[in-house]
Amino acid sequence: MRRTFTLTYLVMVVAQMIFTNYFHFSPLCMVTILPMMVLCIPTRINTVWAMVIAFATGLAVDFLAEGTLGLNALSIVPVAYARKWLIGIIFGTEPFEHKENLSTRKYGFARVSFAMIIVTTLFLAIYITADCAGTRPLWFIASKLGISLAASYLVSAPLVNLLSYDDRR
Amino acid sequence: MPKERRLASDILGLTVFLLLETAALLMLSNNNAMQKLWISRISHGFMAKTWGATQAVRGYFSLKGQNDSLALENERLREIVRDYKAAAKESDPSARPVLGNDGFKYIPATIIKSGRNSQHNYLILDKGSEDGVVENSGIITSKGVIGIVDAVSKHYSFAISFLNKELNISARIDSSGAVGPLAWDGLRTDEAVLREIPLQFRYNPGDTIYTSGYSAIFPPDIPLGVAGEAKVINGATNEIRVKLFQDHSALKYVTIIENTRIREIEDIEATEDKRKEDRK
Repeated sequence: MRRTFTLTYLVMVVAQMIFTNYFHFSPLCMVTILPMMVLCIPTRINTVWAMVIAFATGLAVDFLAEGTLGLNALSIVPVAYARKWLIGIIFGTEPFEHKENLSTRKYGFARVSFAMIIVTTLFLAIYITADCAGTRPLWFIASKLGISLAASYLVSAPLVNLLSYDDRR
Repeated sequence: MPKERRLASDILGLTVFLLLETAALLMLSNNNAMQKLWISRISHGFMAKTWGATQAVRGYFSLKGQNDSLALENERLREIVRDYKAAAKESDPSARPVLGNDGFKYIPATIIKSGRNSQHNYLILDKGSEDGVVENSGIITSKGVIGIVDAVSKHYSFAISFLNKELNISARIDSSGAVGPLAWDGLRTDEAVLREIPLQFRYNPGDTIYTSGYSAIFPPDIPLGVAGEAKVINGATNEIRVKLFQDHSALKYVTIIENTRIREIEDIEATEDKRKEDRK
């Protein structure tokens, strides 16, 4: 089961690299599945290790895709840091007590979607602000955040079931 | 999880978070000129705000010292103005006051305690006999009379406040020259009553009231307030309400004035009294 998660996670890292390299629809739109991937890191992995994994993932995408080095790493670590707190608020302490992973079957698609939207918003807010580096007006940042959030959610939502392997038991 | 272990875990988490974010920021700034500029601008802004805030806090705590030095500086400047005024009056003998302008000694002081809630209020000043303060010295500001020194210790002075119904100041109406005793009305901290103004003296509401200079304690021409409404007392004199310039509720820095020629005045008065008695 653990091997399945790792394999799926690595495949998704490659998928993210492909998104970053080839899916350029508009300067106002970017697609990311990294926040969803970090959210689905098994709950038995503590915050420190989750941050290390997230950092390595972000760095890999930065390095191997045509991103700005450090940008994905900078944006994804706060998601990993907030992950435990966010899961506690939305899903309660149960996932940690039973060492369960997030599952749309158990917790419902709406709650998982809500968590995904929050982490994606956090990621995109940091990513877009750092990427624009104070050179873009607020309306551009806000528009890019809104459009990218919608696009990223539409891509992440079908993929979340691949990482939450409880559904396949 | 025990509390201590959870705390240690939280601290570890925060440390790793800060380390990873710092590493990412360093990578970002070292590889991209635009981000480098942005990060340095943010860090400079943050540093400027932090240093600005600490400077503001330091400035706040140094205000007392600055106020003290400003009070001293004010007094020095007032002394220069007084010298100029005295020089101007010297050249016009008709304008010479009752006391020579150079007959007063001025000592800046700070009020360290004051009572404002009774009919017999007092002040304690931070200057005493070691600083040259003597009993019966006046206390003034540029906006009026504050009180009279009643007792002096080595480092402090006890003074009767103007907000004391027993204290009368000799005051003059600027337009008519009429002189009478000015005293606190015991009701409001910004109002007093000028009594015993003969009816033949005309005045207008809004006229400025000054110290007369007829007392040996206060020099003439210290502005005190403006005349308000009046009422006739016993058909013989006017009693005029005076709106004071000095707000006695917010007072900290004052000047103690000592008439260095008071002994001379008292001697001449005593001689005159003795002569009158001899004639009888």
